[in-house]
Amino acid sequence: MAKQSIVPFGPQHPVLPEPVHLDLVLEDEVVVGAVPSIGFVHRGLEKLVETKDFKNYVYIAERVCGICSFGHGMGYCEAIERVMNVEIPPRAKYLRTIWMEMSRVHSHLLWLGLLADALGFESLFMQSWRLREKILDVFDLMTGGRVIFSVNTPGGVLKDVDGDMLRQLLRTVDELQKELRPVADSFLREYTVGSRLHGLGVLGPEQAVELGAVGPMLRASGVRYDARQLGYAAYPELDFEPVVLTEGDSYARCELRLRELTQSFDLIRQAVGKLPEGPIAVPVKGNPDGEYFMRIEQPRGEAVYYVRANGTKFLDRFRLRTPTTSNIPPMLELLHGCQLADVALLILTIDPCISCTER
Amino acid sequence: MANIRFLPFAHTALKNLFSRPATTKYPFEPAVYPERMRGHIEIAIADCISCGLCARACPPGALKTDRAAGTWTIDRFDCVQCGSCVIACPKKCLRMAPGYCAPGPDKRSETFTRPGFPPPGEKPAAPQPAGPAPEEPVVAQAGGKPVNDTSTCVFCTLCAKKCPQGAITVDRAAKTWKLDADSCVGCGICVSACPKKSLKLR
Repeated sequence: MAKQSIVPFGPQHPVLPEPVHLDLVLEDEVVVGAVPSIGFVHRGLEKLVETKDFKNYVYIAERVCGICSFGHGMGYCEAIERVMNVEIPPRAKYLRTIWMEMSRVHSHLLWLGLLADALGFESLFMQSWRLREKILDVFDLMTGGRVIFSVNTPGGVLKDVDGDMLRQLLRTVDELQKELRPVADSFLREYTVGSRLHGLGVLGPEQAVELGAVGPMLRASGVRYDARQLGYAAYPELDFEPVVLTEGDSYARCELRLRELTQSFDLIRQAVGKLPEGPIAVPVKGNPDGEYFMRIEQPRGEAVYYVRANGTKFLDRFRLRTPTTSNIPPMLELLHGCQLADVALLILTIDPCISCTER
Repeated sequence: MANIRFLPFAHTALKNLFSRPATTKYPFEPAVYPERMRGHIEIAIADCISCGLCARACPPGALKTDRAAGTWTIDRFDCVQCGSCVIACPKKCLRMAPGYCAPGPDKRSETFTRPGFPPPGEKPAAPQPAGPAPEEPVVAQAGGKPVNDTSTCVFCTLCAKKCPQGAITVDRAAKTWKLDADSCVGCGICVSACPKKSLKLR
């Protein structure tokens, strides 16, 4: 047996901006064990629900994460609406769907840029983020914020959109689809990118389910599960099929996210086409009483929102399980037997958001 | 090795060479902000009634209102630009304006004083006791709790519906009008909503 040594990895690491610390047990260059520790950016946002009005807590819920912010606000609002038996207007449902899919586009483009950066492919990184900037501009136009949107409220949405904004959105989606093609080609057909990704960190379907992988991790391993099919917002009225790949390696996870981008473009076009007229919110009177367990599909995977209310304006408990929390055990499994040089890349393929996880 | 492509980025590189840059030279070229952008909060201080609803709605607690001094204070560094105060303001004197605040080396708060109140800093003894009293319009708008004249009141419940705090309870059958003085912020919205002019702020 080779001599084992322990190499600390993170929380500050040049490749990985996320504050996760790993103790890597190495035999020569091969990782034989990894012990994660998190807790560097805990902010106690769940606890704040006990001291803030449940309507104002939306602003805190969406500030849990800078990338999934829209989803967190929406998941929290949908849970509250179900506790209070509030049916939101159809236009609000469609607007939430459009913004959720735009969030997915900007999250996946961000991830593609980070992947290119981890590979040392700087120009591809710049190209991905240049495209992401276009969708952020449309967000700024429609909601008034680039990454924190503050448009959700229990009972609907706070801002309506007009025809000009929708036309601008559709123009941007068309542009993005056209300009994504050469970028996607570089990720999928470039020899150097492929040599780093093919066959790296293979996760089988049984393993993925057993270890609790969610989102693109799960679907890239051949498991057909997408929380959008559970029927929240306007998803039941839109036509889509989850993207599923069977290889389960890092290349499949990259390809899956690229295909989900195209799927999101399609969903945005469908939702804009079907966007009904009408009010954007219904008044919510009284205080919630009861509990609900809401699941939504964030760009990074399935997120769970649990609320327990006691009939006052302060909730008893808000629990948020982010996709990264579920994806850490499969990530540790991937690290077994990989090369030290691939560790950062493998961590990146789960699209980690440690700040989200620690809340 | 078969799928190695020759100069795959040549097309992109050439295109970039002859097209406008994707970025702007920001401090030299002014940034263009969309109309809805939530950059910073502006207050029309003349319309403010110091009701304190904005401070209650503010998630990070960046706002402070002082009814006696007639001031509205914002800590720009604590403000998260959520726009919650703008929705809560019963007088619609707050708005989110485009453009970011200038950065600074220390955390400073900004204080606005309502017209008719002494500016912050100098605290003269003379106008203080008679603070809002000589200013008739200010008193008429706010600064007190609503009192109902039941001889003219028709118990139409409009005041209760308009109250941002839900502090008024009206029972049409029993002909009662009740005010929860603790939650009332004295904004005077009920007074302007009353069709019979039977409400007054005292």
